[in-house]
Amino acid sequence: MMQLFLQQIVEGLAAGAIYASLALALVLIYRATRIINFAQGEMATLCVYCAWQLNQWGVPFILGIVIMVPASFLFGALTFRLMIRPVLGASDHTMVVICIGFFVGFEAIALSVWGADPRAFPRLFPDHAWTIGGVRFTANNLGILATLCVLTLGLSALFRFTRIGLAMRAAAAEREKSPLVGIPVETMLMLGWGLAASVGFIAAVLIAPSLFLSPPMMVPVVIYALAAATLGGWDSPAGAIVGGLIVGVAESLCATFVSVIGNELKVGVPFAVMAVILLARPRGLFGSTAVIRA
Amino acid sequence: MIARPHLRIIATAAIALALVSVPALFPDFLVYQFSVALTYAIAILGLNLLMGFNGQISVAQGVFFAIGGYTTAILATRYGANVFATLPIAVATASLLGLAVGVPALRWQGLPLAFITFGLAVLVPPLALKLEAITKGATGISMAKPAPPAWFPGNQDTMLYLCCLAGLALCVMIAARLTRGDTGRSLRAVRDNGLIAESLGINLAKVRLATFVTCSGMAGFAGGLFAIVNGFVSPESFQMTKSFDFLVGAIVGGITSISGALIGALFVMFLPDWAADMNIALSGLIYGAVLIAMMLLARDGVVGLIRTLATGLGAYLAQRNAHEQPEDRQSRQFQT
Repeated sequence: MMQLFLQQIVEGLAAGAIYASLALALVLIYRATRIINFAQGEMATLCVYCAWQLNQWGVPFILGIVIMVPASFLFGALTFRLMIRPVLGASDHTMVVICIGFFVGFEAIALSVWGADPRAFPRLFPDHAWTIGGVRFTANNLGILATLCVLTLGLSALFRFTRIGLAMRAAAAEREKSPLVGIPVETMLMLGWGLAASVGFIAAVLIAPSLFLSPPMMVPVVIYALAAATLGGWDSPAGAIVGGLIVGVAESLCATFVSVIGNELKVGVPFAVMAVILLARPRGLFGSTAVIRA
Repeated sequence: MIARPHLRIIATAAIALALVSVPALFPDFLVYQFSVALTYAIAILGLNLLMGFNGQISVAQGVFFAIGGYTTAILATRYGANVFATLPIAVATASLLGLAVGVPALRWQGLPLAFITFGLAVLVPPLALKLEAITKGATGISMAKPAPPAWFPGNQDTMLYLCCLAGLALCVMIAARLTRGDTGRSLRAVRDNGLIAESLGINLAKVRLATFVTCSGMAGFAGGLFAIVNGFVSPESFQMTKSFDFLVGAIVGGITSISGALIGALFVMFLPDWAADMNIALSGLIYGAVLIAMMLLARDGVVGLIRTLATGLGAYLAQRNAHEQPEDRQSRQFQT
C-alpha cells in the first residue's frame, strides 16, 4: 500500500513536471502579453510533428529535436508578429477568440498534413529503471524531472542575470514606460512568445512517447497546465512549476485511490483542487494582487 | 433623414419578418438547422447578458445547455411528461446549478472564473458517460418529436421552428427589459466599475449572482428546446466545444447587443458546415482563419462593425450636408 502510494507520487511528479513546463510557457506568454494562449499545446504538437517528419527523412532523432527548438522559437515569434501584434491591447474577449482560432486552425493543419492516425514517437531517454525501496524510478521519469530543472534554472538565469532578460521583464511589467528607457517593447514581447513556444515544444517532446503523436494529443495536457498556472498564480513562474507538480500528484493519487473518479473523471481533479485553493486565495498560491487605483 | 429609434424599429421588424418567413423559403432540413440555430441564439443571448452587459466571463454555457437538454429528455421519456411542460423545469434545474456555480464565482471573478467554468465544460461529457443510470451513457436518449396539432397548417419541422422562434422572442423581450432602465444601468455599472457601483448603493453580489442565474436559466431553456427539436440527446451533442461555440458566437456577433446573439448563432451553426463543404480536410483551418480575421478586422463583432459603419456614414452625410449648404448660398449670390 505504502509502496503503491510512493510509486504513484513518483509517477505524478513526472507527469506534473510536463504540466509544469507547459504551464511555464503559458505564464511566460501571460506575463509578456496578458494573453492566455490555450493554443500553446497545438503549436507545440505542430512542432513535434515537424521533428517526427525530419526523423522520417533520415535526420537523426536528437538532431531533429535540436533543430526544432530554435525553429519553434521562430514559429512562436512569427505567430506573435503576424497575428497578435495587430490586436495588442484589445479586450480579453478578442484575445480569447483569436486563441480559439489558433486552437482550431493549428490542429487542422496537423490533421490535414499528417492525418489522424496516432504515430509512435521515440523516447528521449533510455529504457532503464532502478528500484529503491520497492519504488521504481525509470530513466524516463528522472529525465523529465531533470529537464524541468534545467529549463527552470536556465529561464531564471536568463531573466535574472542577462540584460535581455531584464528588458523582457521591464517590457512585460511596464509596456508604456519601457520605450522611454530605450527598450524595444514589441521585440521583447516577440521574444517572450518565441521562448514560450520553445518551452512548450520541449514539454510536448517529453510527453509525446507516452501519448502517441496525434493532432489533438496536447488538449488534456493544456487543460492540466491551465489548472497548474491558475493554481500557482498567473504572474509567477515558480508558482507554475509548483502548481504543475501539485496537479500531477493529485491527479495520479486520485485516479488510483478514489475509485469513483477512475480514469474518466480524473480530468476533473485539477479543477477541483483549483476551485478549493482559489476560494481561499483568489490570486493563486504565488500570485500577487494587483493594486488598482479606482 | 430617418430618426434613430425609427431605424431600430424598422430593423427589428425586418429581422422578425425574415425569421418568420424561413419555413416558407427553405427545405425542411435547413428549417431544422435554423431551429437549432435559434436555440443556440437563446444560449448566446444569456451569455451576452453575462459577458457584454455584466462583465463576467463564463465558458460553461454549454454545461447549462446540456443540463436543460437532459432534464427535458429524461422527464419526457421516463415520466411521459409533455415536452413543452418540461421546459420550465429545465430552466429551473439549470438556474439552480447556475446558483451553485454563481455563489463561489463571486470570489473567482475574472480569469479564475473563466478557468473554473472551463473545467466544468470539460467535465460534462465524461460525467454524462459515467452517470449511465440516468443519462443512458453513450447510447443517449431518443424521444419522439411532438406532432403538430390538427389545426396547424404546416409540418412538424415548421411547428418546431416556430416554437423555437417564440422561445427566442420571449428571451429577447426579457433581455431587452433587463438591459434598459435602472436594471440595465446597474448591470453596466457593475461591469464598468464595481467600486463606484457599490458606492452608489448597488449590491454587487446580488447583481452578479442574479445575472449568472439568468444566464444559466436561458441556457437551460435553450437546451430543453434543443432536445425537443433534435429528438435525441447524448454526450456527443454536448461536447466541450459547444461551450466554445457559444463563446465564439457571442463575441463574433457582438457581446453588447441583443441582435448579435442571433448573428453569432447563425455563424457558429453554419460556418463550420460551409467550411467543410469547401474543403473537408481544411475546414478547421478555414474556421480558425475566419475567427482570427474577424478579430483583426472587427473586434466588437458583426454588430460592432455595423454600428461603426453606421456612425461613420452618419458623420459623413452630416459633413456633406454642412458642406453643401454654404455652397448653395454662394451660388445663389452669384445668380443675384
